[in-house]
Amino acid sequence: MDCGTCDSGPAIVINTPQVVQVELTMTQKATEMLEDAFGDDRSHALLVGVLSGGCSGYMYDLQIVESTEIDCQELEINGFRVLVPNASSHLLNGIEIDYVDRLMGGGFKINNPNASSSCGCGESFS
Amino acid sequence: MGLFQLDSYVLLLSGNDGLKFLDGLSTNKVSGTCTTVFTDQNAKIIDMVDVITVGQNIALVGHADYKDRLIGHLSSKILQQDVIFRDITPNNKVYLSTEQWIASDGVTVVQTFRGWLLVVSNTIHLESTMTLEEFNDYRVENLIPHQGHEITSNVHPFNCGLEHLVHESKGCYIGQEILTRMRSRNKMGKQLIQIQNPTETATTRGTTNSLDIRKIN
Repeated sequence: MDCGTCDSGPAIVINTPQVVQVELTMTQKATEMLEDAFGDDRSHALLVGVLSGGCSGYMYDLQIVESTEIDCQELEINGFRVLVPNASSHLLNGIEIDYVDRLMGGGFKINNPNASSSCGCGESFS
Repeated sequence: MGLFQLDSYVLLLSGNDGLKFLDGLSTNKVSGTCTTVFTDQNAKIIDMVDVITVGQNIALVGHADYKDRLIGHLSSKILQQDVIFRDITPNNKVYLSTEQWIASDGVTVVQTFRGWLLVVSNTIHLESTMTLEEFNDYRVENLIPHQGHEITSNVHPFNCGLEHLVHESKGCYIGQEILTRMRSRNKMGKQLIQIQNPTETATTRGTTNSLDIRKIN
């Protein structure tokens, strides 16, 4: 295989969607659960991202991080730092972060007006 | 038997998330060199691709006519992951050997269910030793599907002899819910079969036998 020249060759042009200024909301229940998780420590942030994969093509990725190397926009929602990667901002603008309290399928849940479909478990969307 | 030049593309993925990225979007477990299938939301095939790990990079070898569809499918899924695609098709030719072929300088060889796949630098000259008719006979006799014939956007992997490329227990990917439901209910629809000539509906016509996709009762 000849890939000796590929590193200097051009990468395939990916049509990167435009970065949008994200607005998101968080329900009272989600806020309470984050207060339990964070305690009084506000040095960490909630990273709300999107990865490829899942039954519908995109998967939500929620992490509590101190910092990240990902290019993000930082929001303050209900007293919490929320980081949203610019690369997935077009998929996350307008979302509501909720928390569902039930034995099966419970946990944080994203209500996304941009999703045309989502899989049964609610973790992935398209 | 012998060597046949395929009409293929070769994409090179670099970045730290390549295998994970491919694994999350295709039917087989992708943790190294393997063959896998990319499917759409209806579990219909986008392309069957040979994944070849090459040092820190990953080569994807698929059918030339399906390249744009696959790139379109994959590129919209790259968000914050560290994945970069390069098209190295112009630098390489792709062959399928029906017999074992030893790798050499400029010739990458992987064994697949179709035979030995060779990705060969353009600086190296290899001659096909099989005609298209001989290649088709080889496929018919060994029940090997091929893009443009059996592997098309109208079918899902179970229809065209690619059931072994649909992993039974891996996590979610696009089309997974449909394929898992079909398998668990044992309702996988039409299947790839070999039939004796003459036949009107063959997807690949061989000299004495042909391939067809039919409902099996």
